[in-house]
Amino acid sequence: MYFKSSKRNKKKEQDYSKREDFSIELSTSLEENIINIKKMLDQPGDLLTRPFVIGETGPACAIIYIDGLTDTKVINESIMKNIQSGADEIGKGFEEAETALLDRLSYHVISSASVKKVTTLDDASLAILSGETALFVDGTDELLIIDTKGWEDRSIEQPVSEGTIRGPRDAFTENIRTNTMLIRRRIRDANLRFKSHQIGRRSKNNLTVAFVDGIVHPELIKEVNRRLETIDLDDAPESGYIEEWIEDSFLSPFPQMHNTERPDKVATALTEGKVAILLDGTPFVLIAPATFGAMMHSPEDYYERWMIGSLLRTLRYFAAFLAVFLPALYIALVSYHPGLIPSKLAFSIAATREGLPFPAVIEAFLMEITMELLREAGIRLPKPIGQTIGIVGGLVIGEAAVSAGIVSPVMVIIVAVTAIASFSLPSYSFAISIRMLRFGFMIAAAFLGLYGIILAYILINIHIVNLKSFGIPYTTPFAPGFKSDWKDLVLRFPIPMMTKRPKFMQTEDDTRIDKEGKS
Amino acid sequence: MKSFEYADEEIGNSEIGYVIPSVVIGAGILSLPRVLAEGTVSADGWLPIFAGGGIAVLFTWVVAKLASRFPKQSFLEYSSVLVSKPLAFVLTACIALYFMVFASYEIRFVATLSQQYLFASTPKEVLSFVFLLVVTYAVAGSRVALFRLHQLFLPIIIGILCIVLLMTLPLIEVNHILPLFKTDWKGYLQGTKSTLLSFMGWGVLLFYTGLMNKPKKAVKAGMIGMCVPIILYVLLYLAAIGVMSNVVTANLTYPTNELAKVVEVPGGFFERMEIIFFTIWVMALFTTSIVFFDISVMAINSIFKKVKKIKLVLILAPVIYLMGMLPQNRLQLAKVSEGLGYAGICVSIIIPALLIILAKFRGIRGDG
Repeated sequence: MYFKSSKRNKKKEQDYSKREDFSIELSTSLEENIINIKKMLDQPGDLLTRPFVIGETGPACAIIYIDGLTDTKVINESIMKNIQSGADEIGKGFEEAETALLDRLSYHVISSASVKKVTTLDDASLAILSGETALFVDGTDELLIIDTKGWEDRSIEQPVSEGTIRGPRDAFTENIRTNTMLIRRRIRDANLRFKSHQIGRRSKNNLTVAFVDGIVHPELIKEVNRRLETIDLDDAPESGYIEEWIEDSFLSPFPQMHNTERPDKVATALTEGKVAILLDGTPFVLIAPATFGAMMHSPEDYYERWMIGSLLRTLRYFAAFLAVFLPALYIALVSYHPGLIPSKLAFSIAATREGLPFPAVIEAFLMEITMELLREAGIRLPKPIGQTIGIVGGLVIGEAAVSAGIVSPVMVIIVAVTAIASFSLPSYSFAISIRMLRFGFMIAAAFLGLYGIILAYILINIHIVNLKSFGIPYTTPFAPGFKSDWKDLVLRFPIPMMTKRPKFMQTEDDTRIDKEGKS
Repeated sequence: MKSFEYADEEIGNSEIGYVIPSVVIGAGILSLPRVLAEGTVSADGWLPIFAGGGIAVLFTWVVAKLASRFPKQSFLEYSSVLVSKPLAFVLTACIALYFMVFASYEIRFVATLSQQYLFASTPKEVLSFVFLLVVTYAVAGSRVALFRLHQLFLPIIIGILCIVLLMTLPLIEVNHILPLFKTDWKGYLQGTKSTLLSFMGWGVLLFYTGLMNKPKKAVKAGMIGMCVPIILYVLLYLAAIGVMSNVVTANLTYPTNELAKVVEVPGGFFERMEIIFFTIWVMALFTTSIVFFDISVMAINSIFKKVKKIKLVLILAPVIYLMGMLPQNRLQLAKVSEGLGYAGICVSIIIPALLIILAKFRGIRGDG
């Protein structure tokens, strides 16, 4: 299997001697514990300590939390209020046995939903840094971690990168709990599983693998988890880091995982036996494995009626064809095979190219690069200006370039159509790959005309038949052919006819719809 | 991840079904109508196609039967059981050489054709070289990936052929096809021989059956696969005669391409269909070449087991290239093609027939 894990595993075995080791046990002295925690975090300004004593005679206690990551209201209501209002009651008889006091606090007093015990400084600091509150009791070498997380979040908004006319309007947010909630709201199956990983040596980010047990192929889960466990990054701010680490081939121009911010897309993928990877801090969820066919699908294909869905998909394949081949075909036809163009058109093209200083290749490259510049500028600029740049830049530069005699008007049409075609692809990262390939095809056409284009096409095909995404050939279900999966490939059959889950996913439960329907 | 059954290094029966037409449809089909028209009168050539095709299907059966008797074994392994080790080595080496020459012929043929239709002035060395690079890249990859390539390309190749055929329909004149059955038996025999030669390609089953997970199914899949080119050849031949008449067809170098030339694209979207046709046809030549190259690699690899596949590919590629550049002109190239035909009879008919007789006679089976 083509996977570069050996090198990375070796790396993991290295000893990080420079890093200070804080996995030391807690001491029994409250004083010492607090000093240690503060020392470890170097006395940050947002670390708050609140010492108190339970009852008149009870042991000294303290809570420590980070201001801003915690919900002060929760701390007040469920910890402080409960302890102090019943202080005499709790403290009674516990002058000697502080460990039992800890249990009593956890079972009877604190009214937060999640309370757990830890014994090392390392665990304690991680919990505090994640927004939980630590409760120290003098005389014990354990402490309570109380869930008090609460911080400002972006609310659920519309998806920015994947718009649809019809379909749910919610998108994932930066908060992984909101995201898992969005998935759970869609799949209320008891077999929906969320398996957690911790990513990032420094960032200690939460990562969750979502799948539906009983549908997904068990080996796929094993493989995903195995790859995730090899990850050894400092920091994973976006799921792109994860994607690049666990994908099958980083030399390939094609994305081997989907990224989406649409929960409905993730839910559908999960019921098809795929796996979703959610990372805290990013609204982009990864779906694995990815295939070429699925890259051309948009969730809207299923929401609109099947004829419309099928037509739109066919159109999208045509758009992909144009986006890759159109400038290359122009170069090839104009510079090598003018005989192929209908004579009237050939004359008019020749007339507009009259007096142009550059050969077709240079002309095409000039315009394509300008187009890419405009696109990039449009994304970086603030939104209102960005749109203006797109329109003004496109119109003005195109018009001016033609009247200045640098490019022919046909070339402007070609570039515009190519750009529109590449915008119509539903997956942004796939559209980027197509944009990249286009330049390769243009070079091939410049050297060898149509012969070069067909050879480049064959070359790309050789690459994608060799490419795999989590063990699944990228060209499935075209080749290896799964005829029953062709119902949901270029065409989208009516939903009652798609009774089986994708066969190429080798799902454990393959029936999506019972033929007879509900009796 | 080995657990996905279709993702490992084994192939199913549909893959074999795709390989056969993919190999057969290549260089031969372009000139076949001419070869047939030379020996037969009016449109009688369809009979020899069926006769040649029948023999081809028969020997596909023979080869598949033979190879499926020894599942998961290479040709060298089962032939050494049948005819002793040294002889098996010689056989394998000869077959490897045959496929290598065939691959180099295809690579040279691409250059000749593209010189004729696309670039008159670009040297054939360059054209062959870039083609060889692409072929080498394909062969250097995984072997099952090649089968996936056939699955992707064959529909496109058959599609363009069918489009050309459909568009010729209004141009066919019935009096070109009539009268029927005027050819003498010598003409029929001649035609049968030349079609049989252009159907050569089922020999690949000697090697590829060993990769299958259910080798028994190779027989049926191979025979069905063989029927596809037979039907296409008949349709193509009839279209060529119907549109251009027997006399014209007999005097054209590549009547199939010329057929694409007379076709007019509805709506006048582009002219000169034959260029489009040839461009797609590069794919057909490519699928043929990768199989031949891959089988030579496979055969030699079974002799030298310790050499890595990638090394072998890189050694063979320049050899194939140089062999392809040897013929000085089209006449010599035709000679090579003729020689390959006779060698093909040896490899694809005589050797498997002898081996299967031996196997039956001595009652040797590889599957217990």
